[in-house]
Amino acid sequence: MSGTEYFEKHVRPILVKHCYECHSEAEEAQKGGLLLDRESAWLEGGDSGKAVVPGSLEASLLITAVVYEDPDFEMPPKYKLEENEIELLRKWVEMGAPGPAEDMGDTEFSQLGNQEVIFEKAADHWAFQPVDAPSPPEVENKAWNAHPIDRFIFAKLAEKGIAPSPQADARTLTRRVSYALTGLPPRDESVFEKSPDELVDELLASPQYGEHLGRAWLDVARYADTASTYRPDTKTPHYYPYAFTFRDYVIDAFNSDKRFDQFVKEQLAADLIVSEKRAPELAALGFLGVSPHRNKSHDFVDDAIDATTRGFMGMTVACSRCHDHKFEPIPTADYYSFYGVFNSINRPEPWDIDEFPVIDGYDPDEKLIADYKTQNQAIQKKIKDAGASKKKGNNRSVAEAIKQTELAQLLVSHDGAPARAMSVSERGKPENAFIFVRGEPSQKGDRVPRRFLKILDAAQPEFTRANSGRLELAEKIIDSENPLTARVYVNRIWGMLMGDYIVDTPSDFGLQGEAPSHPALLDYLAAEFVKNDWSTKQLVKFVVTSKTFRQSSRTVEASAEVDPQNQLYWRANRKRLRIEELRDSLLALSGQLDLRMHGRSGQLWGDEYSKRRSIYGFVNRFNQDTTLRNFDFPSPMQTESKRTENIVAPQALFLMNSPFVIEQSEALVASLEFDEKLDGPSRISAIYEEVFHREPVANEVKQVERFVEIEEGRNVPPWSLVAQSLFMSNEFLYVD
Amino acid sequence: MNSDFTVSRREALQKVGFGFGALAASDLMAAMKGDSSSESPLATRDSHFPGKAKRVIHLFMNGGPSQIDTFDPKPSLAKLDGQELPDSIKKTLQRTQRNRAGTVWASPFKFSKHGESGLEISELYPQVAKHADKLCVIRSMQSEIANHSPGLLMMNCGHPTLARPSIGSWVLYGLGTESEDLPGYVVLMPNGMPTAQSRNWTSSFLPGVYQGTHIETNVKKGEMIPHLKRSDIRTGTQRNLVRLTQALNQRHQNFREGDERLNSRIHSMELAFRMQTAATDAFDITKEPEGIRESYGDTPTGRNLLMARRLVERGVRYVQCYHGAGQPWDNHGALLPRIKTLTKESDQPISALLTDLEMRGMLEDTLVIWGGEMGRTSTIQKGPKDVEKYGRDHHVDGFTVWMAGGGVKGGMTYGSTDDFGLGIASDPVHVHDLHATILHLLGFDHKKLTYRFSGRDFRLTDVHGKVVEALLA
Repeated sequence: MSGTEYFEKHVRPILVKHCYECHSEAEEAQKGGLLLDRESAWLEGGDSGKAVVPGSLEASLLITAVVYEDPDFEMPPKYKLEENEIELLRKWVEMGAPGPAEDMGDTEFSQLGNQEVIFEKAADHWAFQPVDAPSPPEVENKAWNAHPIDRFIFAKLAEKGIAPSPQADARTLTRRVSYALTGLPPRDESVFEKSPDELVDELLASPQYGEHLGRAWLDVARYADTASTYRPDTKTPHYYPYAFTFRDYVIDAFNSDKRFDQFVKEQLAADLIVSEKRAPELAALGFLGVSPHRNKSHDFVDDAIDATTRGFMGMTVACSRCHDHKFEPIPTADYYSFYGVFNSINRPEPWDIDEFPVIDGYDPDEKLIADYKTQNQAIQKKIKDAGASKKKGNNRSVAEAIKQTELAQLLVSHDGAPARAMSVSERGKPENAFIFVRGEPSQKGDRVPRRFLKILDAAQPEFTRANSGRLELAEKIIDSENPLTARVYVNRIWGMLMGDYIVDTPSDFGLQGEAPSHPALLDYLAAEFVKNDWSTKQLVKFVVTSKTFRQSSRTVEASAEVDPQNQLYWRANRKRLRIEELRDSLLALSGQLDLRMHGRSGQLWGDEYSKRRSIYGFVNRFNQDTTLRNFDFPSPMQTESKRTENIVAPQALFLMNSPFVIEQSEALVASLEFDEKLDGPSRISAIYEEVFHREPVANEVKQVERFVEIEEGRNVPPWSLVAQSLFMSNEFLYVD
Repeated sequence: MNSDFTVSRREALQKVGFGFGALAASDLMAAMKGDSSSESPLATRDSHFPGKAKRVIHLFMNGGPSQIDTFDPKPSLAKLDGQELPDSIKKTLQRTQRNRAGTVWASPFKFSKHGESGLEISELYPQVAKHADKLCVIRSMQSEIANHSPGLLMMNCGHPTLARPSIGSWVLYGLGTESEDLPGYVVLMPNGMPTAQSRNWTSSFLPGVYQGTHIETNVKKGEMIPHLKRSDIRTGTQRNLVRLTQALNQRHQNFREGDERLNSRIHSMELAFRMQTAATDAFDITKEPEGIRESYGDTPTGRNLLMARRLVERGVRYVQCYHGAGQPWDNHGALLPRIKTLTKESDQPISALLTDLEMRGMLEDTLVIWGGEMGRTSTIQKGPKDVEKYGRDHHVDGFTVWMAGGGVKGGMTYGSTDDFGLGIASDPVHVHDLHATILHLLGFDHKKLTYRFSGRDFRLTDVHGKVVEALLA
């Protein structure tokens, strides 16, 4: 019998019966990266090594697995083969493991996850090419040939035979610019008198700009004021009492137009670059410190890798936790290089307060400080008195319970408590990580040095031995040679301003991500951004001063036929207010908005809700706010790529029935101080002017008058209902 | 001030007139063309193939019920009772359980055969036992980590630690909901959240509309859904308020044709208006005839299960009912008194639910699932000397889950545990396999129900899972 005949007669049937379920293309399964349906594949082997080494029983893992002698390495997993089957396999290996007459060779399936093949593909991938600085094309339309953005946009539109839309009218534009730059409605009538450029400068200089852009960054930074877990006995979340300083740092960074490269560096490694002990920049480390995971665990490290790589570079490195990435040029070793970095840091418990540096920039008045001290002393005494006692009926320390509840609640809410950075620090001796085979901490593979991603840094020199390597990692991220960071960031800003992204997968620029709709424009923006000292304000201004940004949002049928999704930007995108914008607008229009900045988070709704902007609202990971969730506020469990936009009934219920909205409606009407003698139409005009910045049309006046007539004399005054009806409307919720 | 949206010519062409009393909200809807409800992410969708189950009620016995005392009789333990485990068995336990394992403790509860099938059920569940011929009992369930949080997340989301969407979210994503005026995925809890809390019903990276809506049922009527009611104005006034808004919206939309979102939002406000009545009604079990209420019992579980039935009857796709806050079935100690209470609390309501669904012809396409995040050991957890204080430890290799209705075979058991009740003797069913099977019953190929996120297609069963064909009717 020839070798091939032996294989087909004795070996293949065993493989088909017992192995192909998990190791064959026919079953679309290659567990452990192993295929047993072709000679080339078993010779190459899988994650654990070579499956078959012709002639060697010892070296052939297939044999090791089927004999069931190593309890951690038994195949098939659920039962042992019959002795005679094992014998046939042994004999086959000894006779040199002859394969079938024809090998299937490499197929698309077998190459799934083959890093060599993926790296070859990646060599041509647009996002890994250096940022080119293309010159904007000359276009025929004179008006559209001035601003570089318009030239790129017009050129593409012209290719498709689409005309850009006319510019939006002044009222629309004012509202659009106000929301785009501050997340708030136009402040008062006076802004309508300003030229758009004047208005842009004024808004960029207002503190509300930093709050608005800052909130967008907090989506990426998965910001929250608690971890995702709680104490079961007291049902209190694990608080992060100093998370707010990170939020404030982010706001200030945008307001002061901090260079973005510096912004990245500080978030990953402020402790390694700032020497001043009370430097506010230390709060930047909250990027790592406000992790969803309370303990420094595998999950903490995994999240840090994910937020860093997707957030800054649009790379899905966290997918390589268990094996080489199936689609991206990211070997699992790269994941564990980063693992070493983030595992080499120290992350104290939040109530070990002295571990967190007090930072400058917060100056509560003496009274507050004194009050905090009194309260703190009382709690400290309780902690001391508790000593090492345990709670009755369980094993929990009483002292720790007090720290995690009373003390944490005081720290999280009392403005007299010192403001500290939610920082992390070096652990002492940094350590390279072992690869966890299949993501199992118990199954250690090779140790890998701390270093950067192979696809971006082929030589992969090791990071320093002196520290965790966070600073070097940050330097690599912002290196001018790194093709991703600037592109990813300008795309985020563009998407936020324009309501749609050039790359529709803002946190995934890999092979699986979407291709850019305007690659040259993206590169131009990225190059200009870096050239302009990574200035976000200049980038923002550059975008909102283009004609592209200022188009009307109306649909033009002929254009919509060619490009229904408006991917080419032949009109402006109508944008729905985010929940923060909606809430802030209601407060602003009711005259109740409190514009004080910074400080501890307050409650967004409820009996004693804060009237400050929503960015100062308490974000509870363990019990996420239903209203926020209903309005697509991102779950802070992981870095957010872009917000979804759902339209669901609970949103309408909130606007119809929540005490918050009702109160703002009443307050708006109260603030207008209607004279008793003022007639209906004038009142209607006043309310419309306030909310919509326009006069009601005749039909609307008639409808409202009718409503008021019917509802007059009931327990709720009709005028506040009229105001509420405007708040419930699409005209209010959408920005043209 | 001029606007490119206030063109008076268009005003004259306005499609919908407006007069109070002349136009009901539904007429307003009907008057609008291009009703976008089919665009809604919650609109009903076809599954891959026709599924026998259309909806699910998952009775979650959180904490990990002891299978040995309920649905997995182990007469073999009688002669081992009081003995130490042999090392060969002990070593198969997870580390914590290995260290805490005491002597073998045969169940003190009597099992007997029930129904035509002769399915064996313990005396703790006398009423459920009457439904023996409906139950499809899996005695060989297998999970990963023998602890609550990972167990719950595994059972609900298919992964013990990572943030993944829950099965209810996947089902809602796959099928949409038939209820136009209620959330499609509802989680009922009588007195606070289970361990791991909202992570159990998270939509994770699936869009937020697929997230479970959790409802504390032990609150005053009308407070279960936030902002459901407004008490300071009459319904009539609110209807007028909504109409006034819709007139505004209609006019607004007339100048902005081609933006489906505006239409969807008009639609959702109508839904919200209806939901005020519908949801109040759905959760109001006092509307049930007294006989029905008595059959479920006026207890937290009884009320929850009756609510669950009212919800699925109204088209809600997935209802999960937790037994209680935290992990009530976690009987490390005092198992005897506690399991008696727990089974007493759940026996009558579960029996009533099965009867009720059957009576309404709904059992055939409603899948009822009973089980916890894991089971318990056949050994005592080391410590107490007094039998009343004996407890059992966590166990993930060979625990019991049963299903009924919705396309599963009744009166059958599947898989078995070994003589010690500590390992799987035959036909293991991993949680992934259970998930694959549940999705199959609902008409999905679990390998094809996927969602693209962060550069890859995710699915509930990750790269695992096999449909257990033997369970299918």
